[in-house]
Amino acid sequence: MATIRRGDGGLALPWARLSRAAATRRQKAFLLVLPAVALLLLFFILPYLYLLYISVMTQSHNAKYITRFTLANYAQTIGDLFIWRVIFHTLRLGVITTVIALVLSYPLAYHLARASSVMKGLLMMLVLTPLLVGVVIRTYSWMILLSDTGLINSLLTSWGVQPAHLMYNDTGVTIGLVHIYIPFMVLSLAGPLQGIDPDIERAARSLGAGAWQAFWRVTWPLSLPGVVSGSVLVFVLAISSYVIPSLLGGFTVITVPLLAIRTITELFNWPLGSALTIVFFALTVVIVWLFLRLMSRAMKGAA
Amino acid sequence: MTAISLRSVVKQFGDVTAVDHLDLDLAEGELIAFLGPSGCGKTTTLRMIAGFEMPTAGQIWLGEEDVTWLSAEKRNCGMVFQNYALFPHLTVYRNIAFGLEMRRVPRNEIARRVRSVLEKVQLHGLEERYPRQLSGGQQQRTALARALVINPNVLLLDEPLANLDAKLREEMRFYIRTLQQEFGITTIYVTHDQSEALVLADRVAVMMGGMLQQIGTPEDLYRRPETAKVADFVGLVNLIPVRMKERCGAAIACESTLGPLEGRGPDGPGAEAEGWLSVRPENLHLSGTDGAAASGTDGTVNQMRGVVRERAYLGSLIDYRVEVGPALTLRIQGGAEAPYHAGDAVAVGFASADAWFVPSEEG
Amino acid sequence: MHRSIGSRVGRVAYGTLIVLLYAFLLLPIAIVVIASFNSGNYLRFPPQGFSLRWFRHFGETASFTRSFFFSLRLAAVVTVIATGIGTAAALYVTRTAKRYREFLRVLMIAPLPVPAIITGVALLIFFYAIHVGTHGAFGLVVGHTLICLPYVFLIVSTVLANFDRTLEEAARNLGAGPWTTFRRVTLPIIKGGVISGAVFAFITSYDEFSISLLLGGVGTTPLPIQLFDYLRFSFDPTAAVAGVISIVMAMLAVLVTERLVGLESLYYGRRS
Ligand SMILES: Nc1ncnc2c1ncn2[C@@H]1O[C@H](COP(=O)(O)OP(=O)(O)OP(=O)(O)O)[C@@H](O)[C@H]1O
Ligand SMILES: [Mg+2]
Repeated sequence: MATIRRGDGGLALPWARLSRAAATRRQKAFLLVLPAVALLLLFFILPYLYLLYISVMTQSHNAKYITRFTLANYAQTIGDLFIWRVIFHTLRLGVITTVIALVLSYPLAYHLARASSVMKGLLMMLVLTPLLVGVVIRTYSWMILLSDTGLINSLLTSWGVQPAHLMYNDTGVTIGLVHIYIPFMVLSLAGPLQGIDPDIERAARSLGAGAWQAFWRVTWPLSLPGVVSGSVLVFVLAISSYVIPSLLGGFTVITVPLLAIRTITELFNWPLGSALTIVFFALTVVIVWLFLRLMSRAMKGAA
Repeated sequence: MTAISLRSVVKQFGDVTAVDHLDLDLAEGELIAFLGPSGCGKTTTLRMIAGFEMPTAGQIWLGEEDVTWLSAEKRNCGMVFQNYALFPHLTVYRNIAFGLEMRRVPRNEIARRVRSVLEKVQLHGLEERYPRQLSGGQQQRTALARALVINPNVLLLDEPLANLDAKLREEMRFYIRTLQQEFGITTIYVTHDQSEALVLADRVAVMMGGMLQQIGTPEDLYRRPETAKVADFVGLVNLIPVRMKERCGAAIACESTLGPLEGRGPDGPGAEAEGWLSVRPENLHLSGTDGAAASGTDGTVNQMRGVVRERAYLGSLIDYRVEVGPALTLRIQGGAEAPYHAGDAVAVGFASADAWFVPSEEG
Repeated sequence: MHRSIGSRVGRVAYGTLIVLLYAFLLLPIAIVVIASFNSGNYLRFPPQGFSLRWFRHFGETASFTRSFFFSLRLAAVVTVIATGIGTAAALYVTRTAKRYREFLRVLMIAPLPVPAIITGVALLIFFYAIHVGTHGAFGLVVGHTLICLPYVFLIVSTVLANFDRTLEEAARNLGAGPWTTFRRVTLPIIKGGVISGAVFAFITSYDEFSISLLLGGVGTTPLPIQLFDYLRFSFDPTAAVAGVISIVMAMLAVLVTERLVGLESLYYGRRS
């Protein structure tokens, strides 16, 4: 029996038919993603474009806006010293929150990454628990702790110490923000830290590095990607927070989200509120971009 | 009757030609091993037969039916995947019953058939376990049972033993062979382990770079390789460059840098053909340089001298590397009774019946 | 000798630090629980005694109960929608999409990195302009779905990316058609991811604030907004009761997930 046939016995296959069948299959499969795409285009992309559009319309007292192109809203936003103070204040709160959250999260994440797998599950649960309770309630809890007659101050007075103003100022807002965003920072850090083989640190120690040196020269540079992503995440979340500055800040701490929402929902000044939102958004993007560039250079230097 | 027929099958992935004009017929009840280095297209061929890939050109027949366009679930091929692909959410019993449920076999009939196949693969008592609770060998047998229980027309095995340890692998080889013969099922067995292929298969198909190099019985392949690549891939081999001087039937006489040599050769190449004489290491015999007491030298017509360069102790054998000429070192495996050492001058001999002429590529 | 003492001190300090950090993280949760069972108008040290009066007050305040049940209904509806379309989208993007895969992936998770409060502003203005979604719960459902969709999409995508597709081939090989294969093999194996995504969506929607603040209306005020408004003027532990309810619900969710899925099943179908 001849088992090997040489030469071109094969028939040309009906490729056109096959590719047409594949195309209709793919078209049908597209129905799967269609609802999500429609939702996002219609109620996410379009509203943002509309926001952009409103921001270049003319303000009006008796209508939402007048359909006339203008850059006056941007000029007003950029020219207003008060707005700049609010923006600066918001960004400063964001930076301080991010730095403190990073400092507090790093040991937690490191500990988590080095825990046994059973412990890891438990610790992960502990880190995530605060996320399961809504932000309003967590803020309320801080109000119980921090208010002038709150737990901490009642403890202080019972010890004979002068009570401190911990709430309705930047201190309270920062504490609240840090607490709320620590879990996000820990989660961002834990991944890269877990990726660092403990043997690498041991190797550094065996080469004569002290514990601190091993950390600075090996662990820290390797964990930078997590530091960067966690910092960006917490910064963006912190500066766009609404609940914490309004509840823990009282009326003394004004941030951009508070101002923008007041402009739109209380003053009904859509064009100005939109312009303010967009300026702030753009500023955030620029800051994050600068930060990422800076860090990528640092990371290249470290690697 | 042919059970599987591949007719000039081509498969391209973009620019890569994974399978190149493959022609192959399998007889009913035959076990063919696909042997070849990694990436040569074995899995792709198997997947085309199973219906997971459509060939770019060519046809695939199962029995009397052209199945080139038939979707996978209608082909009735049993397949054992390299990672077994056991359903993790189903018990052993439900895994094996799956194919029968798809065929709407009545419940009690399913129970009966699953029982009987479990008996055959010696897994009774493990019905209610989940795959992750099984050892590698048990998972392997579950996968085998799942493929066999549907009474497939053909059985496709993709490196079924690759994930087992060496000892278990050896056991399972014979086991699979027995089972295959008991079921009398046409089988393709993909492997890159040449000893597995030689032990198991009725015939072995050696693939390289998407093309079929040679197909034949294990003995054909081992003793009469058609190309140097095949000779090199199947077992250890010494290739001595030669030019054919004359031939008389299968017997040939050649000349080489080591002097005149005699051997056997395939039909075709005649005088002046360039090529190699392939000689297996166990067919080369060593003796002292006095030339007298060469062991097992009946019919040893080819003699040469050399120097032992290296030796490695392999237990039952000693593995020598003997330099017999400029840039020509032979690998020789011999018994441990008359040991030589590095630096010893030795005589090397082999019988003409153990030397097979392999034409060089253009021939 | 010197060194080992130093390292022991270091280890104790490190351990203490970790404990303190966890205490900081969990303190507010503990405070909420204590405050809700405390009989006083506000929490002092030491607590004034056990009482259920704040639970009673929560139950008797119509605005709270109405918001609570509204939040539950809203979260349920949003969960169903987000899980459905998110899972379908994940299936398409990880398996079928070719040219637009990256674009689709970015689009699906886009609502995540942009501040929700800005999304809320944009949606509010947009809804006013097109005269829909300003009454009833429609706007809230849309807004919450936007926020929850990325989570479902990400979780299910991860599970699908780890899914061993030879399992589907094995099913086809054994005679199952495409739909049967999906129902009998794919779905049971990715079920863990889908349920986790759904639970995540539910909790996210139930606790959502920014979108709700802007799109909630009369009679359609989700609980977090109701609490926020309440806390601006009064301070009593009724809000803590809502916190305890949240905690209980979260624990129930974890239990339900574990029951339905079994934590092990998250490892199903991993490529070996
Ligand atoms: N889906 C695919 N897309 C693109 N290229 C592929 C695909 N599948 C296989 N190939 C290519 O086709 C060639 C043959 O692959 P195949 O899996 O058949 O090899 P193999 O002989 O089974 O190898 P191994 O012994 O490593 O399993 C390889 O070069 C591989 O990279
Ligand atoms: Mg393969």
